[in-house]
Amino acid sequence: MIRHSIARFLCCGLLLLTYSTIVIQDSISAANRNAGAEHLQQIIDAAKSGDVIKLPAGEYEGPAIINKPLTIIGGAAVSVRNESNQPAIEIRSEQVELSQFSIQHSPSGESSAILVTADGAVIEQMTIETRGFGILVRDADRGLFKENTITWFKTKKDKKTSMAKKQNGIDLYNSHDNRIEANEIYDMRDGIYLENSDRVNVEGNKLYRSRYGFHSMYTKGTTLVGNVGEFNVTGAMVMGVKDALVSGNSFRKQSENVNSQGILLFDVQTSVIKSNIVEGNRVGIYVEQSSNNQLRDNSILRNFMGIQFLESEGNELNNNRFISNVIEAEALDSSGNRMDGNYWDAFQGLDVDKNGTSDMAYTINPFYQQLISKTSAYQIFFQSPGMTFLSSMFSDDQESWAKDHSPLMSQASSIDDNANLSTGSSVWIGLVGALLLFVSIFIILFLGVRKQ
Amino acid sequence: MRDLLQVARREIKIGFRNPWAYSYLALFSIFSLSLLLINSQNIVQGYSGITGSMLSLILYLLPLMTLFLGSFSLTSEKEEGSWQLLSTYPLGTMSFVIGKYLGLSVVLVTIVGFGYGLMGIASVLTGTSFDLNTYILFLSFSVGLVLLFLSISLIVGSLSRNRWQALTISVSIWFFFIIGWPTILISILDNLPYLWIKPILVVLTFFNPAELVRLFVVIKLGGGSILGPEYYQWVSWIHQPSGTLLFLGVCIAWIGISMGLVYWKWERGRSHG
Repeated sequence: MIRHSIARFLCCGLLLLTYSTIVIQDSISAANRNAGAEHLQQIIDAAKSGDVIKLPAGEYEGPAIINKPLTIIGGAAVSVRNESNQPAIEIRSEQVELSQFSIQHSPSGESSAILVTADGAVIEQMTIETRGFGILVRDADRGLFKENTITWFKTKKDKKTSMAKKQNGIDLYNSHDNRIEANEIYDMRDGIYLENSDRVNVEGNKLYRSRYGFHSMYTKGTTLVGNVGEFNVTGAMVMGVKDALVSGNSFRKQSENVNSQGILLFDVQTSVIKSNIVEGNRVGIYVEQSSNNQLRDNSILRNFMGIQFLESEGNELNNNRFISNVIEAEALDSSGNRMDGNYWDAFQGLDVDKNGTSDMAYTINPFYQQLISKTSAYQIFFQSPGMTFLSSMFSDDQESWAKDHSPLMSQASSIDDNANLSTGSSVWIGLVGALLLFVSIFIILFLGVRKQ
Repeated sequence: MRDLLQVARREIKIGFRNPWAYSYLALFSIFSLSLLLINSQNIVQGYSGITGSMLSLILYLLPLMTLFLGSFSLTSEKEEGSWQLLSTYPLGTMSFVIGKYLGLSVVLVTIVGFGYGLMGIASVLTGTSFDLNTYILFLSFSVGLVLLFLSISLIVGSLSRNRWQALTISVSIWFFFIIGWPTILISILDNLPYLWIKPILVVLTFFNPAELVRLFVVIKLGGGSILGPEYYQWVSWIHQPSGTLLFLGVCIAWIGISMGLVYWKWERGRSHG
């Protein structure tokens, strides 16, 4: 009897023990879930105007609207996830700063990871992955967008998303005096897109593998300085712009697409394009319907076509270096440009008075350009020996050709042009060359000369 | 098969006793070296000014050289009477024709190889940065160009009675394919409906080995986008590995058909005495 009651007691105790562990585990997992699903909006609502919020490491849920002055600082392991069609974070108040956390914005279409509709926003060192826009700025002035990384949000399903489905990295509309600096944007539609936004400073950004690295429409006083663009369809698409400064940028390897250019200027007036490097593009600098611009001190290297002028008048082209382009320049309906003192490496000048510039002018034969603008199928003859021959036969009416009156005899080279290319294979070339030479001499001696 | 190899060995021997072979070897080597030295400050990689001008040099020189050496070799068989002698032997015409082709291609490829060998060593000595892929691409397409034009040159040699006739026909063919091609095509195509121009251009390009090889190299060097949107699909297709197979197929078809013509001509000449 006593034994029996002991057994019952033990049984009860065991049951009780199990039950209590279940309860504890439940409450722990509930706590876990809460931390994982913590809504950013709740944290923002709880904060007072002007607060600095330091987010603890973890995942947060969007969307959130910030409608009071606030500073939100993250850390290495802070991320905000958003699956709704609202922007992950929308900034509606002035004096808002976001920095040092990441956002994953998964809905595709017109929504954005960050939407800014108030002046003076500061967005720094953010890592944004998005299937919509990166940072959308609407009617917001004097903001700073600095050192952010913006890229296409890849999922396991999509191998290659078409450019048309993607959106822009940083997109400004009617937003003036903003600064966009040292961001890294890749695999988007346009890296940085400006429309109707004046005096925006775009500086030191890295723009890769997008449609257009930089794209501006109808802006004034834009400065595009020291940016790097590679493997985009077009590096910088500058359209409908006045008084812009495009300086010290390097746009390389925009050559895959049939519409690729390093820098495109369309309807650009009174702007300065100087000290840029355009290298290995389909067309280095493409100028259409643009007038009264200055293009100087640019290095135009190894492009299929160095510079192309269409219906552009009154531009000044000074002191540029054209090196190892397949065709250096084409010009059509663009005789009213002033070209002086450029270096064209394929041109053999004649300097009688020893002043460093050729006394013979460098002329640009428009024959090929005329031919393909009428029938684009003839582009198959690009740089074919027969085409060179045919162009050289049409040399009448030279007065109306675009020409450089005082081309430089030698280049003032200060930059290391070849720094960007790999040169690791020189030993192999030597080995292969020596082998070829050896084999051919062997064949000549043993099959040709030696008596049988 | 033994006959074939015998003819080929004889051809190689005659080829390297021909002073012209060495003058072409010198010409090709000197030109390619000069071109390398002029551009020694630039990197030879991808489609750029220097690779563009190298392409032009190859297109000017190699087809002409090949047409001369190939066609003269056949006409000399007729002029010197060795074919009359050979045709009394139990030697098949096919063995003769293919042996000739193989022997001459060894001679020509050796000339090209010698030039490229020098170029490779010189590029190391002068410190020119020459991309290995670009180098091998150029080498293989020079060889391709030589093999294609060799088959044409044998047609020329079969049709000509003597060296002078071969010379005249060779120069005309060279001018037609290399220099006059765009001029002639543009003058004809401009009178046709606009929509016909592109398809006809594409088809005709297959009939000009020089253009075929040039476009292939330009596309493989990554310059296909300069040909414009009209040829977008062609360019992306040829850029893939299967494009190389297509190109090889076209080349083999070219050589096969030409050699068939040559065989037919010589066989006919043999039976007609």
